[in-house]
Amino acid sequence: MAETIKLFVNGCEVEVEAGKNLIDAIGAVGIEIPHLCYHPALGADGNCRMCLVGIEDGRPPLVPACKTQAVEGMKVLLDAEHIKKIQKDVLELELINHPTDCPICDQAGECSLQDYYMTYGREESRMNVDQVKKAKKLDFGCGVVHDQERCVVCGRCVRFCRQITKTGELGIVNRTDSARVTIFPGRPLDNRYALNVVDLCPVGAMTSADFRFKQRVWFLKKNRSICHGCSRGCNITVDHNREKDSDDMIYRFRPLLNEQVNGYFMCDEGRLSYHGENENRLSEARLSKTPLSFDDAVTAALREIEKHDDILFLLSPNSTLEQMMAIRSFAEKIDATLSGFSDGYIKKGDGDDYLIQDDKSANRAGLELLGIDSSKEAFETALKKADLLLNFNNDLLLAYSETELKKLLKDTRVIGLSSHETACFQQANLLLPVASFTEYGGSIINCDSILQFFAKAVSKNSEPVEICELISLLGGPFHDRTQLWEELKKNCELLSNVDPDNIPPAGLKLTDSEADNVPA
Amino acid sequence: MKWGFLPKDTGKPVYLAVNSDESEPATFKDRYILVRDPHMLIEGIIICSYAIGSHDTYIYIRGEYTTQVKVLQAAIDEAYDAGYLGDKVAGHDFKLNVTVHRGAGAYVCGEETALLESIEGKKGQPRSKPPFPAVAGLYDSPTIINNVQSIASLPFIIENGADAYRKYGTEKSPGTHLFGISGHVEKPGMYELPLGLPLLEVIDKVAGGVWKGRKLKGIIPGGSSTPVLTPEEAKTVTLDYESMAEHKTMFGSGGIVVLDETVDMVKLVQNLIYFYHHESCGQCTPCREGLGWMLKIINKIVAGKGRLSDVELLRELCDNIEMKTVCVLSAACTMPVRSYLDKFRHEFEACVAGENGSKQETEQEER
Repeated sequence: MAETIKLFVNGCEVEVEAGKNLIDAIGAVGIEIPHLCYHPALGADGNCRMCLVGIEDGRPPLVPACKTQAVEGMKVLLDAEHIKKIQKDVLELELINHPTDCPICDQAGECSLQDYYMTYGREESRMNVDQVKKAKKLDFGCGVVHDQERCVVCGRCVRFCRQITKTGELGIVNRTDSARVTIFPGRPLDNRYALNVVDLCPVGAMTSADFRFKQRVWFLKKNRSICHGCSRGCNITVDHNREKDSDDMIYRFRPLLNEQVNGYFMCDEGRLSYHGENENRLSEARLSKTPLSFDDAVTAALREIEKHDDILFLLSPNSTLEQMMAIRSFAEKIDATLSGFSDGYIKKGDGDDYLIQDDKSANRAGLELLGIDSSKEAFETALKKADLLLNFNNDLLLAYSETELKKLLKDTRVIGLSSHETACFQQANLLLPVASFTEYGGSIINCDSILQFFAKAVSKNSEPVEICELISLLGGPFHDRTQLWEELKKNCELLSNVDPDNIPPAGLKLTDSEADNVPA
Repeated sequence: MKWGFLPKDTGKPVYLAVNSDESEPATFKDRYILVRDPHMLIEGIIICSYAIGSHDTYIYIRGEYTTQVKVLQAAIDEAYDAGYLGDKVAGHDFKLNVTVHRGAGAYVCGEETALLESIEGKKGQPRSKPPFPAVAGLYDSPTIINNVQSIASLPFIIENGADAYRKYGTEKSPGTHLFGISGHVEKPGMYELPLGLPLLEVIDKVAGGVWKGRKLKGIIPGGSSTPVLTPEEAKTVTLDYESMAEHKTMFGSGGIVVLDETVDMVKLVQNLIYFYHHESCGQCTPCREGLGWMLKIINKIVAGKGRLSDVELLRELCDNIEMKTVCVLSAACTMPVRSYLDKFRHEFEACVAGENGSKQETEQEER
């Protein structure tokens, strides 16, 4: 743990981390200082004036907590009457021109202003003159919709575009209560992280065109997971809800703080990739395009595997380490060739120097760790020889055109294990539906060799079977997690000291040096 | 002086910024210096720059001062031509460049950190302090910001010595100051006076007293942001920093406004709030939202639709807004407004009771 210091809050001694401002330092031990403009990723601005606190040591009677470093022995006053009055007064001023139409505001339920009103305000409105009228429903581009009346002019969105994306599309124009956040004429938001301003906005001024008015946030169940959009492995919250008489649906992904992986943010592409978890899903097993029961499909697959001698297994670079191990040990058992060919998942030059990676798969590092050959030559040679291809959810059409693929497959029989209705599996002789990543849990390694574990986030009505489970039905030797991890440790030096049940939430950096892996 | 706060040997350049963004209502001293004796200012800049080791000076001048800009720029050009500015100041191995930067009309840019933001090409919004400009000012470098009058007083002090300067004024407020006396006096104008003179004497003897033989109603002692003095209070006030503080007002900018008996204090307050609301930069919540609210309340009161509770709310808002913000613009509004509300409460009460200053209005119209 970092160095700590002792200070006093309302006369009580608390031990907090050194080197932080009062909001973060005291916040970490559970004492809230209300604030709207401060955000740890964007630094202090000091414009909202909600976080004014008293310090009893001769300095000015009031200081903004966001700009005040916590120091040893500091005496912070939070519950004094004059501080509470300031919080109440500033809140009143925030609210006088705010349309208090929470029932029709998309932010209701996760609005700082609403929460603070309930905690610090609870006063009757004294506003008996006309409110300031501003523009509503402005399309800022990138799916961001802005409501200037709800805006508290905290400037988080503006600072995000200046400091994080360095694109600077947003600015605050005008003075006094005419001040408003806006874009430059004809220059809408144009960056790949724009939707983060929706999360950053403490109120309902920034909403996502994709999400707004789809769900009330208090109905959403929230589960942690990891985005599979690229090899960064951004930590996410999966917000989902099972509405009456329907299936559990995901309504949004939101970035989840992980300092060593993605910080507070994620890219828009990854954020919107939740659509893929809801839409175009493969829902039934098919034998030569004719639907059949899952059990019958498994039986059919067993027969195919038994019938053929030269079998090629193709893995997806999105598979978890557990799935990869299960598939590999199954391949070894029945003497099948194994390929992790997935060049199609790499979009050269698409990545940036922030979060987005060229590699659009979640666990390529896992393939490498398990020594699975991913070369194109090896795959094509093996495919030429093979009379049966078992494709574990690897979309070959990312690497080949349809005609190329057809030519390559010739009369090789194909068993597809797919989570989605992809064109790649249209011609499969046998098709089995499997779970997608929000429907199972597992371990993956990101582009920086950080091992992360994610748990199952969503339970569908007709639970699609997870690949490890399916492998055991097809005769694979290992399928439960404990067994698979024993195998993983045996086979991979780097994983030999990992306790699979205690992978820290922030992930574990896999390095050759033992010292780096001692959990903090 | 502020100069002592400059850190030494930071490796960064030191800047001098001269504040001539004179925008406080009723203040007009700097424009006199700029037009009548710009060379004195330039001399002061050279002295100051040499003392603090600065090679770049920015004169931030109020955009509306078009004549002043022309005169000042001509004087600077003359100084360059004469070798007093440029690579070798007066033949010495000392480089000094002076740049005139015109503001775009924001009152708040007279606040020293907003002024720096504006020079940097950003929106003029005050920065929170610390860090103070002497440590991290213009372009994050140590910066000294002084007013035109302060810089212009340097040549006299250097030439004649500090004691000669101290000969004028009081012990704690030494020297002279330019007082712009305006309002209802017989001889409004700009007067350089030693500090410490009795206020009423100055108004009577220097400015010729309240005009048209009318009665005195109040005195704004140092620009519109200073709390008003009643005639009773004014009796004991002297023109120096300590006496003003004792009377719970401020010395301010030396812009003295004399108000005669015809002034409608309710409308004066309306005008005051209108100005400060208009000039609020919109950064901090209390000032951004609060001054707008105050303006609407006073408008309502002036329109005869106000209630006693509105006057009370206005008074309370002064307390709620003041000193909760990054800079003192909000206080520049609330401090005087509070003083009018407290000292001339009966006028506001009369206004909400329907007896608004109609009598006075007709009087004014007749005039």
